Amino acid sequence: MALVDLIRPEVVKVPLVSTTKSEVIRELAECLRDAGKISDVEAVVEALMKRESMGSTGLEQGIAVPHAKTQAVHALTVAVGISPKGIDFQAIDGNPSKLFFLLLAPPDQSGPHIEALADIARITKSQAFCRTLIGATSPAEVVELFSED
Amino acid sequence: MNGPIKKILVYVDGTESSITAAQYAVVLSRTLRAELSALYVVNTRALEDLLKARIFIKAEEEEYKRDLEADANRYLNHVQSLARKKGVAIEAVSVSGAVHQEIKKYVRESEIDLLIIGELSHVRSRRDEFYNEAERAMRSVSCSVLIVKDEDRVWELYDALT
Repeated sequence: MALVDLIRPEVVKVPLVSTTKSEVIRELAECLRDAGKISDVEAVVEALMKRESMGSTGLEQGIAVPHAKTQAVHALTVAVGISPKGIDFQAIDGNPSKLFFLLLAPPDQSGPHIEALADIARITKSQAFCRTLIGATSPAEVVELFSED
Repeated sequence: MNGPIKKILVYVDGTESSITAAQYAVVLSRTLRAELSALYVVNTRALEDLLKARIFIKAEEEEYKRDLEADANRYLNHVQSLARKKGVAIEAVSVSGAVHQEIKKYVRESEIDLLIIGELSHVRSRRDEFYNEAERAMRSVSCSVLIVKDEDRVWELYDALT
């Protein structure tokens, strides 16, 4: 399934209220719980924080891609969050992260996980598109932007 | 093997549609008495891109590569089993690289007459169209391409093979 098919308004959080790395991961995990995508928030947060402990997924240009394999999901699961003010995610360029793509995949679905991450890697190459996304003010607008792209 | 199609290749990526394509390939291979191969491509290009983009760390790249190699074995074994059940000989091949390039290379080097692929996912954006690996392969290979649709009908055809 294409990444764009997974990005629905209920898995988009705009604006994020968190101010720290652990908070934003929890906020997006709770967004997925509220959307009925996961039930065990703690397991998801633990898997994501474990991955972050190996190296931050905060990239350049205000983008972060926290991701993990976890038994807490049965299929590839995505959440998108936007923090116009930015959050310190220990990004490689030291700048605050504003656009978050959170990805979870079951351990036996590495193929779709890699494809989705590769989609995100391509999306993040377009600075103009990312700037437009960061400027979005509602989940519906984010979904629409992905559909139009 | 006197017809126009002597060598068939089915591209298997583990999706349900690619397994349906494999079933149809078995049906066609039996009917046309054509040689059948199944190809799985471990997408190491994507892994390299993720490492380059710093989304992956090195340990992660290696872990996911092992996962994909295990997927290749699992799916190719399944396709081999589908062919064996119908008495069709099949060559199962796993390679690594960029998916569309590896498919194109295999088609050329093995002188494939017909590439069979599963139904393409719905294109939601120009980006999808450009980056869908099966679609890119379809556009770039030198042989004819057959896109398999209607899973139920294919299952009936496969099931009816005695």
